[in-house]
Parts: sequence; structure tokens; C-alpha cells
Amino acid sequence: MKAGFFKQTAIAPLIMFRIIFGAMLLFSSLRFIMKGWVETQYIEPQFFFGYLGFEWVKPLQGNLMYIPFVIMAIAALFIMLGLFYRVSTFIFFVCFTYVELLDKSNYLNHYYFISLMSFLMMLVPAHRDFSIDAKLFPKIRTKETASWHIGILKFQLAVVYIFAGLAKLNADWFFEAQPLRTWLQAHHNLPLVGGLLQEEITAYFFSWFGCIYDLFIVFFLMYKRTRPFAYVAVIVFHIVTWLLFPIGVFPWVMIFSTTIFFGVKFHQQLLNGLKKLFKWTEKLPETIKSIPSPKPFVKYGIILFSAIQILVPMRFLAYPGDLFWNEEGFRFSWRVMLMHKEGHATFYVTDKASGRTIEINNTDYLTVRQEDQMMTQPDMILQFAKILKKEFDGKTFSNSEQSITLRDPAVHAEVFVSLNGRPSQLFIDKKHDLTELPYNLKHRNWIETFEK
Amino acid sequence: MLKRSVGYVLLLSVALLFSCKDKVGKDEDNTPFNKGDMLKNVSANIILPSLSQFDADISELKSSFITFKNDPTSANLEEVKMHWKSGYLTWQTLKIFDFGPIRNIGFKSATGTYPVDASKIQSNINAGTYNLASASNLDAIGLSALDYLLFNDQALSEFQTNAAYVVYTDEVIQKLSSETQTIVNGWSTYRGTFNESTGTSSTSAFSEFVNEFNRDYELAKTAKIGIPIGKANLGLTNPEYVEARYSGISFELLVESVKALKVTYNGSGGLGFDDYLVNLERTDLDDIINDKFDIIISKAEGFSMTLEQAINDPSMVNQLDELYLHLQQQVVNIKTDMTAAFGVLITYQDNDGD
Repeated sequence: MKAGFFKQTAIAPLIMFRIIFGAMLLFSSLRFIMKGWVETQYIEPQFFFGYLGFEWVKPLQGNLMYIPFVIMAIAALFIMLGLFYRVSTFIFFVCFTYVELLDKSNYLNHYYFISLMSFLMMLVPAHRDFSIDAKLFPKIRTKETASWHIGILKFQLAVVYIFAGLAKLNADWFFEAQPLRTWLQAHHNLPLVGGLLQEEITAYFFSWFGCIYDLFIVFFLMYKRTRPFAYVAVIVFHIVTWLLFPIGVFPWVMIFSTTIFFGVKFHQQLLNGLKKLFKWTEKLPETIKSIPSPKPFVKYGIILFSAIQILVPMRFLAYPGDLFWNEEGFRFSWRVMLMHKEGHATFYVTDKASGRTIEINNTDYLTVRQEDQMMTQPDMILQFAKILKKEFDGKTFSNSEQSITLRDPAVHAEVFVSLNGRPSQLFIDKKHDLTELPYNLKHRNWIETFEK
Repeated sequence: MLKRSVGYVLLLSVALLFSCKDKVGKDEDNTPFNKGDMLKNVSANIILPSLSQFDADISELKSSFITFKNDPTSANLEEVKMHWKSGYLTWQTLKIFDFGPIRNIGFKSATGTYPVDASKIQSNINAGTYNLASASNLDAIGLSALDYLLFNDQALSEFQTNAAYVVYTDEVIQKLSSETQTIVNGWSTYRGTFNESTGTSSTSAFSEFVNEFNRDYELAKTAKIGIPIGKANLGLTNPEYVEARYSGISFELLVESVKALKVTYNGSGGLGFDDYLVNLERTDLDDIINDKFDIIISKAEGFSMTLEQAINDPSMVNQLDELYLHLQQQVVNIKTDMTAAFGVLITYQDNDGD
């Protein structure tokens, strides 16, 4: 595998991927701004749920938050055009990842995917043909590139699909057809297909087919003979999910990204077509610098990256209890559209001295989106409790008769959660003072046990 | 790993064949349900009747006030108060539907914001210049402003001697009346949109209906009872936050509000959320929700005094807390369990998910 990874291969697929990927990044950055989400997700919130170890990542003040998004759009355009490619990919990666690290209530697997892909794009020379860089500095032009430059991108896509498939191998998905049964029946008013979507058997079919698709699609895309059928399946699968579920651009990201699996010939022809269109003159440098033999750190870097990609989604195995319920090791693991969780959390801030309590209206402090995410995720529940403690410490409450100042308040929460259509169960008991509990990666034994 | 997965899938295929067989019979008993039919029922048999009742109440309020203006007797004031009260009770059935025409003009907050700011009303009247449409005057207009204007101790003598007081009251009623007309007109065109909008996105009428139903319930719980009894204030009571404090009808309003929510939930006898739950094989939940509504209504009807009197009576603390606890427990039933079963996104903003 190592030898194969450094073999020379045509650069065309990488060039085409740069153009496609850059265009997608540009489209989604502009879409995000136009939809007003910078405002609703990064300017309106009063508090942010940082990631453990990354709480130092803070938002910019007010409308300054538009800056990283505008920079992203410009960088994406530059990536597409291949202009200052290495710098543009680096800037895009930094801005995008910065924004994602601000608030875990905005976490989406496809954002994590984009973060990883832009990181990888930063490392591969996708600007060495048909780019403005190649026009300005003809010396960098080349027809070939190391096969790991393309292989690592395919690997990343394979990780996404296969882990998404493995994640579906669970009893709810297979034997209850949940959460798809809940989600599909909600479409029963669609003309023609509505009645079908309401049928239980349809939910089973979608669940099972979705799982098989995720597990095996990469293999079918890799073999030339099955590739055309596999790609049709990719298009159909993702368009169906796009029509039925609120998953934004993700289906399109996958439909376009999987073109990297196409053969060299296909990409070569496409690239030649584009070159003709833009009257690109082939001027290869007289002496093509032979690619230096790979340095060991590249090899180790690839191994390390791949190992992390495989181990991170499996870290849930280190935790006891139900993964969907406790959500320990849930994020960054390609668990896409996997469960339907609704919760209701009531927080109580208590004055330890008098034993008097305040019931919190969560939306006084959080946006509806943040509240919705927080109510089913234990780490966010803990974070919110700590936010409340800070907010209420030293606050004075009064009516016409008396006034009490809160000092060092305790914060309790009573949380009920419904998972995959089951009746709701107690998730967090009111007995715990959440301010006393540690916020770390250890198993959280204060979450109530899940009863199937 | 792969080989094992293939084996797993094959094994499960067999299991599926069996698991499906068991369930065929169950589906036959399902009551037919369709969100489109439910929306049609809700608009035709709940929203529009409530709206036309409110419209009628407000126009009677308006005409009784004209009578009273010309002949400011105590008997005529009682007439105004009576129409105000029936309007306020009808409002409990209408305020659930804060979407479409009602949301477009901010009718819910313009009509039903409380507690009323009596000193703001007095200073508006004294100044003689005010803009009732401005956001800062939301707690000086609407039905709560009329609660103060019609029911405070000095009301009758103010009406008889203070022209500015009469003008202010008149303008509050005029505003209410003209906005009601806007809603009536708006619904005549919006009705079709509402009936058709059965989708799953957060902006579909069905999602908005579910979300606003929940929101109105939570508002009833928090604002009508929770805040006045001090739930947000370390248990220090806030009688000045009581709704309709001057007329003292706050318990009646609470009962009416919960009854209206119950009727809406049950589709007023036609297709409603209850039928959807039954269709989804969640009859258990439907029973829990209806039982809880009944308990809340009977607890709320169990007070033989005004809410303010109950708050100020230390012996009533437990009874109020008990009422609040039941109100609180229902939130989980409707906001978590019911919406989870429907597959509705509880969110008021559009966004991507995965």
C-alpha cells in the first residue's frame, strides 16, 4: 500500500476535484450568508457552547462575524480558480474550522467533512494544472502526481460512507425502522408517493437499503464495471434524501465529491473540454522536476491521519451504556440521520442558603436552536448549567416585601427525552447539582439509564 | 469486517420477513388520518369560528363603548365590561394561532401583552401625545390596557370627567377593532395556504401550528401562573404580574385558555392531534394528554378567589404549586412526546440538519 501510495498517476482527477470542490464551497458559503444564518447562528446568541479544550475560540463582535464568511467565499473562489492555491486552502480551512469550533449546537457531520476535506486539499497540489497559479508560474505545471494525493480524498469519502453504514447496524434501525418510520410518515400528504411513505414496509426498505448503500457504495464506485450503476445509485439516493429531509447541501456535496472515484479517462476528457473552452495553452516546463521521493514524515503523516479517522468514530466503544442515549463518542463519527431525539429540560437555580429556587426559561439565554440541541445532549446540559451559575451568582431578587441575593447558586435540571419514537423517559434527575459535576471526557454516570 | 456485515445483513433480512408478518394485522385497525384533512378541520371548525366570534365580541365592545361615551352611566360601563370580558375569553381560543395573518401584524402581542403598565397608560393620557403602534406601548394597549382602563377604582369618574381618558380608551378599542378586521381579511386568503401546507419543513403551516400550540401552552403555564407565583423570582411572589388583575378574571382566563388548547388538540370533535397520535399507535399518549388537560382544568376551577388573592394567601401556596406542577408535567407530553411522534422539527428557524 505504501509503495502504491507514492506511485505516479495522472493529475486530472485532482484538478477536476479542486474545481468542483471549490465551486461547492463558494456556493455554500454564499448560501449561508444569504440565508441570514450568520445572524441567527453567530450574532444573535448570547452564549456559545464551545468544544471541550476549545472554549478559548470566541466569536467576533456583532457584524464582524460576517468577515470570516466573506473571506471563506473569496478563498473558495480562489480554490476553484487555483489562485494562490496553498494560501487559499489554508485560509479557507482556518476560517471554516474557526466558525465550526464556536458553537457545538451548530455541529453537523457535513461541516466536519468539509473541515477535513479542506485540510486535505491544503496538503495536495491540486493547482498544478489548469489554474491561475499554473498560468502565472508555468514551472509548477505537471501531468502527474503522487497517487496518495487522490487516494487520501477517496479514503476520506470511504470513511464517511462506511462508518455511516456501520452506525446503522443497530436494533432500532433494523428492527423498528426508526427513526425513518417517524420521518417518512410525516410525508403522507405528498402527492402520489405519500401513501407509500406511510407504509411500515417502506420505512424498512429505506432503512435496510440505506444501510447497505452506505456500507458498500464505495466498493461499487471503485470497480470500473459497477461504477456507472453505483453512481446512478449515488444520485438517486442523495436526491431522495434531499427531497425528504432537511439536510441542505449535504446530498449535493456527496453527489459531486464522489466523482473523484471516476476513472482517469473521464476526468481527462472533462479537463480537456474545459481547457478548450477557456483556450488553455499547454506549456509544460521543459524540465519537469521529477517528484522527489517521499519524505518519511509524509508517510507517517498519512498513517497517522488514517488511524485517527478510523479510531475517532470507534471511541464510543470505550464508554459503557447506550450510545444514542448518553451520546458519549457520538460526534465526529458520521452518525448521519441516525436518531430522532426530542427533549424537554427544566433548569432550577437554587440559593443554597435559603433553599429558594428559580425556574429558568431557557430561551432567555439561548436561541431556540441552541435550546433544542442542548436539551438532549448531556455535555451541553452541563455547559448550560455552568453558564447559569455564572449568570445568577450575585443576582438579587425581590418583591415588595423582601429581597434575596443569590450567592454560589446550585443548578439542577430535570430533563425528559424521547428517543426514536419511544415514550419520553427521565434523562437527567433533578437530584444532581450540575455545578458540582466535572466537564470532561469521562463517562457521565449522572445520566439516567436508558430503558428500551 | 465486511464479510461479517454481509452476514449480518442476510441474517437480518430473514428476521425482517418475520417481524413484518406480525405487524400486518395491526395496521388494519388504524384510523385513517391525513394532515391535510386535519388542517382543513382546524381552520374550518376552530380557527375561523373563533375569529368570527372575536370579531363579533370586539364590535359589540366598540358599539357598547360608543353608547357609554354618550351616556357615561355606571350601567353602561357594566355593559362595556361585559363585552370586554367575553372578548377576552374568546381571545384565549384565538391566541393559539400565532402564525399567518396574526403573526404578520404582531397581533398576539398587541392584543394580549400583560402585565399592563398602568403608569405608562396614565402618563400617555396626561401627555396627550402617544403612538399606540410603537413597541414601547405594547403593555399600554390591547385587552390588558382595557382591564386597567375599565376596571380600576377611579374608572367611572375618570370616564365622566377626563376627556383624555375617554379618547385613550377609544383609541385602544379602535386599534383592536381595525386590527381584528385585518386578521379577518387576512384569513380569508390565507385559509387556502394553511390547508395545503402539510410539509415537514419548519415553515410549513403544520409545523407552525404544532410549534405555536406548544408555545401558547407554555406561555399559559409560565405567564398566567408561573411568574405571578414567583417561579422565576426565587419563590418571591409577584402579584403585580397577574393577568387581568383589575377585573380579577385571571383564573377564568386560565381555564378558558386550557380548555381551548384541549379543544384544539382534539380537533373540536373532528380530526386533530389526538387522531394523529391514535393513527401512529400512540393511544396511550393521547389518553395521558387528555387526562392531564382534565386535571389541570379541574384544579384551575378549584379556586374560589382571584389569583391575586390566592397568591397573597399563604395557605394557598400548596394548591397553587400543585396546579403549576400539573401544568408543567403536560409540557413534556405535548412538546416532547407528541412532537417526537409527529416527526416535527421544534424550531422556529430554517436550517440544515443531518
